[in-house]
Amino acid sequence: MNPNDHNRSTDSVFVDGTEVPYYAAGASQGDRPVLVMVHGSTGSTDSHYGYLFPMLAFRQRVVSIDLRQPAQDGALTLTQLVRQVGAVIDRVSGGKPVSLMGYSLGAVVAAAVAAERPDGVRNLMLVAGWMKTDAHQQLRNGIWRELRSTSSQAIRNTMLFCAFSAGFIAARTPQELAGMAEKITLDGFVDQQMDLNGRIDIVDQVSKIRATTLVVGCTQDQMVPKAHSLQLFGAIEDARYTEIDSGHAVVFERPAELLRLVDSFLREPSASAAGSILPASRP
Amino acid sequence: MNSIDTGSGTTFTDILIVGAGFGGLGMGIQLKRRGKHAFLILERADDVGGTWRDNHYPGVACDVPSHLYSFSFRPNAHWSHVFSPGGEIQQYLRDSARDEGLLPHIRFGTTMRDARWSEADRQWSVQTSQGLFTCRVLIACPGHLADEHLPEIEGLSSFAGDIFHSARWKHDVALKGKRIGVVGSGASAIQVVPEMAAIASELVVFQRSAPYVIPRANRRYTEAEKRLFARDPSQMDKLRAELFWAGETNFAQRRNLPRFVREAKEMALAHLHSQVEDPQLRAALTPDYEIGCKRVLISNDYYPALARSKVRLEASALQRVEGHTAISARGERFELDVLVCATGFEATRPPFAKLIHGRDGQSLDAHWDQGMQAFDSIAVHGYPNLFIINGPNTGLGHNSVVYIIEAQVDYILGALAHAEQQQVAVLEADAAAEARYMDMLDTRAQGTVWLAGGCKSWYVDTRSRRLTLVWPDYAYAFREANATFHPEGYLQTQAVEATP
Repeated sequence: MNPNDHNRSTDSVFVDGTEVPYYAAGASQGDRPVLVMVHGSTGSTDSHYGYLFPMLAFRQRVVSIDLRQPAQDGALTLTQLVRQVGAVIDRVSGGKPVSLMGYSLGAVVAAAVAAERPDGVRNLMLVAGWMKTDAHQQLRNGIWRELRSTSSQAIRNTMLFCAFSAGFIAARTPQELAGMAEKITLDGFVDQQMDLNGRIDIVDQVSKIRATTLVVGCTQDQMVPKAHSLQLFGAIEDARYTEIDSGHAVVFERPAELLRLVDSFLREPSASAAGSILPASRP
Repeated sequence: MNSIDTGSGTTFTDILIVGAGFGGLGMGIQLKRRGKHAFLILERADDVGGTWRDNHYPGVACDVPSHLYSFSFRPNAHWSHVFSPGGEIQQYLRDSARDEGLLPHIRFGTTMRDARWSEADRQWSVQTSQGLFTCRVLIACPGHLADEHLPEIEGLSSFAGDIFHSARWKHDVALKGKRIGVVGSGASAIQVVPEMAAIASELVVFQRSAPYVIPRANRRYTEAEKRLFARDPSQMDKLRAELFWAGETNFAQRRNLPRFVREAKEMALAHLHSQVEDPQLRAALTPDYEIGCKRVLISNDYYPALARSKVRLEASALQRVEGHTAISARGERFELDVLVCATGFEATRPPFAKLIHGRDGQSLDAHWDQGMQAFDSIAVHGYPNLFIINGPNTGLGHNSVVYIIEAQVDYILGALAHAEQQQVAVLEADAAAEARYMDMLDTRAQGTVWLAGGCKSWYVDTRSRRLTLVWPDYAYAFREANATFHPEGYLQTQAVEATP
């Protein structure tokens, strides 16, 4: 075992008849709540949090879930994913409040969990999240579904095109882009997640969130434009807001900058007052 | 007024800065911009620029992109390349010193010979080649790449040809058509070697251990790009942020996370394979330690230079010199006209530390007999009113040291403001605070590739095996920890005794 894995352990919970894995690493730091991380659509702990999870484990105790396709037939519901995250929290929290972080669809799930557990989630980080799918997102989602249903070869490049900022793509070689496209997961669970993405509406829940919250928008996000993050900033009582100059795929484009935000926020969640807009970093 | 002539050739100044490289100039600029003019900068040479003044060997360049390796408060729209030549960096520092009005504050050709704290006078006495200076606050800006290191090699000084260190390049020595030896395979050597390969009749490179080399994504900026930077400076800020965070991402390699170490290694070895076909040469150029343990080098022309027929890679150290003959550790003999020592700098045991004597008269070098250390990487117990910029635990393997220097300048400005507001005459790092800080660094350093990577590097002190040169975390974490003055870590003496 590499000591730098910080004794990463793998365990699982059973939710709705499905085994849901989660990973834990890092030492507890005083009374700092354990951090629970929720990845986004098409992702996993190792892909979306391949950078953040091991690095955060140097700072504190972290737990990250791999969301799983429920055993039951039928459309995926947000409630099912909320139950999966809730089951992991129940297992790892020891009855104490946690810090919860979600990215993309994971931010939607995290917001819903925080709304449902006002005493169970103390700190909340929502990265590139949203609360109500709008026509702009539905248009893209529709294109994706059409490409998927016709088994179009264009689907992977379309996903790259939407996920990364123009500058990031422009700086890559054709080989690098092909390698990135190849790594994209496409399976039945992804289909279900994309379907769910097209009909998110957690407006009522979001107003119930009491956690100390950091909302992070990505300036060049074409999948969840930053206006959605600003809406969350407006809707959540104890929220502060900041931006990263990145496309939606911030976990790949600017992982270290995101780490800095999470690291700083978790060290002192209330350092900035509710309603603050934190200035972008200027190195 | 910068200073007062106190008679008998002694010059008093409130703040005395030693060194006019990035550190000293950055400090001076920020004092000046805050309307504080009571400072002098001592510079032993006749020009500003520090390592960029000294290093003018053929091919000299920085391995950090120019838009990041520059002051954040002095963006430069005119960098010629992503990685600009060293001469441009030197010119940038000259322009900075002139434009910010620092030149009247700089005493050139003034070498510090001895600095002593006087407890009675609450000031430093600094003996120099140009007389005695006294000051309340001493700011040492020695740099990590200031004093060249020459290896102890038998017969080296009696070499019958021309010999010089890469940082003391002798441009009057004719090199064309000569048999040249380059000692070393570090950051300077890989820039010198392609230049020498182009003009030498024969070239031999003495390599003690192979470096990892990754591609250098260098290119010229177009006139249109440069004009855009000038017309819309926010584009430079955007680029700087992109370069900074890309650099920060690579800290995961230094932190020794398996996946990122593997990816970096694959990139470096793929570069080697694409540029060197000969299996023997490839083997000799494949490092036997973990990537990042020593500085990762960037070059597109080093490997191709070594692959040329007139170039010989000698995969062992230079051991002995007899007349014109250089003899390697493996016993290979080479007849040479010129020897270039690209053998680096005195980094873990900097010579300036021998000159500075604290409250009890002990030199900093003696005080640091188990390796350099400082509270907040800037102040040392027993050495009151002394701040060191770019001293212990301030180096980076993955990002721009100018960012670190700026954080330290902010820290010192905070210390000066605190002393002024609270009427504190003497600030001295508390021993316990210093020990706690070092323990924190030791904890963070454990398991990093510098300590666990199985190499001998200038980042680690050979006496204590502690990581004394490098900050073992993200650059942003240095700014968060060390850009703000921490009065609670200091013993403070009031300027006027409080009345009971």
